[in-house]
Amino acid sequence: MRRGASQRAGSGAFLVLMLGFFVLGCDSLPGRPKESAEEAAQSMDFELLYATHCAGCHGADGNLGPALDLHDPVYLALVPPNRLRAVIEDGVPGTAMTAFAKERGGSLTEPQIEALVQGMLARWSDAQSLRGMALPPYAGPLGDPRRGAEVYATACGSCHGGEGRGGKKGHDIVDSSYLALVSDQALRSVVIAGRTDLGMPDWRGTRGSPLTSQQGSDVVAWLAAHRAPVVGRPIFEKPRG
Amino acid sequence: MPMRFATAIAKWLEDRTGLGAALTPILGHTVPRRTASFWYVFGSSTLALFALQVATGVCLALVYVPSADQAYQSLVYLNHGAHLGWFLRAAHFWGSNAMVLVLVVHMLQVFLFGAYKYPRELTWICGVFLLLCTLGMAFTGQVLRWDQDAYWGLGIGASIASRAPGIGPGLVHVLLGGPIIGGRTLSRFFTVHVFLVPALLMALLGLHLWLVLRLGVNEWPMPGRLVDRETYRKRYEEEVQRDGVPFFPLAARKDMIAMAAVVLAVLVCAALFGPHGPRGFPDPTVIDTAPRPDFFFLWLFALFALLPAWTETFILLVGPVVAIGFLVALPFLSGAGEKSWLRRPGSVLAALLILLAIGTLTGLGTTSPWSPLMDGWSATPVPPIYVKGRSALELRGALVLQFKQCRNCHSLGGEGGLRGPALDGVASRLTRDQLIRQVLQGGGNMPAYGKNLSPAEVTALVAFMQTLHPVDEPVARTAAGPLLGPR
Repeated sequence: MRRGASQRAGSGAFLVLMLGFFVLGCDSLPGRPKESAEEAAQSMDFELLYATHCAGCHGADGNLGPALDLHDPVYLALVPPNRLRAVIEDGVPGTAMTAFAKERGGSLTEPQIEALVQGMLARWSDAQSLRGMALPPYAGPLGDPRRGAEVYATACGSCHGGEGRGGKKGHDIVDSSYLALVSDQALRSVVIAGRTDLGMPDWRGTRGSPLTSQQGSDVVAWLAAHRAPVVGRPIFEKPRG
Repeated sequence: MPMRFATAIAKWLEDRTGLGAALTPILGHTVPRRTASFWYVFGSSTLALFALQVATGVCLALVYVPSADQAYQSLVYLNHGAHLGWFLRAAHFWGSNAMVLVLVVHMLQVFLFGAYKYPRELTWICGVFLLLCTLGMAFTGQVLRWDQDAYWGLGIGASIASRAPGIGPGLVHVLLGGPIIGGRTLSRFFTVHVFLVPALLMALLGLHLWLVLRLGVNEWPMPGRLVDRETYRKRYEEEVQRDGVPFFPLAARKDMIAMAAVVLAVLVCAALFGPHGPRGFPDPTVIDTAPRPDFFFLWLFALFALLPAWTETFILLVGPVVAIGFLVALPFLSGAGEKSWLRRPGSVLAALLILLAIGTLTGLGTTSPWSPLMDGWSATPVPPIYVKGRSALELRGALVLQFKQCRNCHSLGGEGGLRGPALDGVASRLTRDQLIRQVLQGGGNMPAYGKNLSPAEVTALVAFMQTLHPVDEPVARTAAGPLLGPR
């Protein structure tokens, strides 16, 4: 009889305990939803934003992707933060860089774009390493293509070949289809910041003197002069590969 | 003193209603001894889960706002604002999953034990309609979770209904309260989920239980003991009188243990895994979403996705009629004879086959490799080995591949969508001309991209794809190469 009574008391206590657990301890239960889909879409976490929206083209770590190397102190020193922001917001028309701002049909809010800009600058820029260097300005007018040909011959030809159609180390850079898909500004950025992740040096080059802003403008003008009025009609082109 | 007072009230109630006197023989009715087994608890377990669904459903209905613009917010409020609101939603969600699951197990047990045979045909038919009601509850419940899954799931349901010959458009109108999903749709589904189907379900449940009581619990099937319409009922009566046990408490005890176990399992699942969704506001302009149905419809989701297009209308319209018709006709097709699964290899095989098919389709539905990976283009990086050593044009091509969302369906380096073939090694399978043709004209379930790509983009894209071949396999070339030049 006593055993039965104590058993009943035990199970009663167990029930009360369970009830207390559910009513009071519920906030720490693993099933409690962390954040709603809306909150997740509002995330300001740089790693998440970058991995979801940028990594596809710019590479998992900001480099070694087909698009411009963002994990590059020279490029981040070159590009004004406002321009970086504007490119993410509005994209670059005619290229694969699409507009990401919500009001431009993208999926990112203004604070999220700001988080991306600040996150890149905080993680991947390195002002110390460029101290005392005369980095040419980000933007510049198109130069003179004839002077550009000379600049090309001294600074670029050893890798990209005499006419820019590919050489020992570098590939064809005057292909009309390539030039149709790239802006003059992107050409200038690559001339100045290089693609060090893929073996192309920045404006300082591997030997000789660094390019000046004017030389950069000239060589971009020379490249732009190779743009063709009708491009990418495969049947009329010389076969590749 | 209080004890005596309570007894007096109980006596008074009993005197006026006579409910106790009516219920005692029901609880005490004798059942075959061997049916006091854990094999016979699935029906009562389903009942317990139904009771749980009613209880949690009533609580949810207190907060839920069945209007198109506020339903979603009320779910978010339940999840994040209301104290334990998330637990309520989780319990209702896991309860619905468990109810469908246990109900199917109950049906399987009844089928394998031959319990649908004479004289319990109507009990079985009643059960078939209970299954349909439960699935109806599951579907309408999924719609009430007014999110992107609900919106597109409803769209699919409506387009299935619209295929019905002649009555299609009318059916859609009845279903949605108009030609498109709108404010009336949700009110309609709320009414169906909260009033109509539950009422039907309860009525059918009452009939089902009444039939079980009236015809007796199916005896434990013995190989070689055949059901004969002439002698069965007499033999059953004799067996129960000779070797029966009262339902309460011997058999009821096991039922109660099972009922407690399934309800507890649901509550534990709810506490551990939480509620499902809501997954995104149901905005029809948001198309970068991969909607999927709840667990119990994943097999249908997979089936519809994998059916060849030309079979769709036929299977969608004829399939359910045949399936339901077969289930209803089953007790008349094999109403007598052997009950034991040991002597019914065909039935066992059929049940296994159906389970295997549904299981396989559910597995496919969970991974749904045919669904595009909506953020594949921006979230799956081009593998660095496909970037290194590529020319400027080829790198532009890789950008076109990402930007035009090819990766949503095609994978590279194991990452990306699985709808189309992986593009690693594509250059050793297709020549340059074939790649250009495929991109421009599509085909083989791939859309044509000719109008979405500039000639320069196609050139770049194909140049990049031509670099995608294993080191030891050359680029594919046309056999007529020497005649037409090295293409």
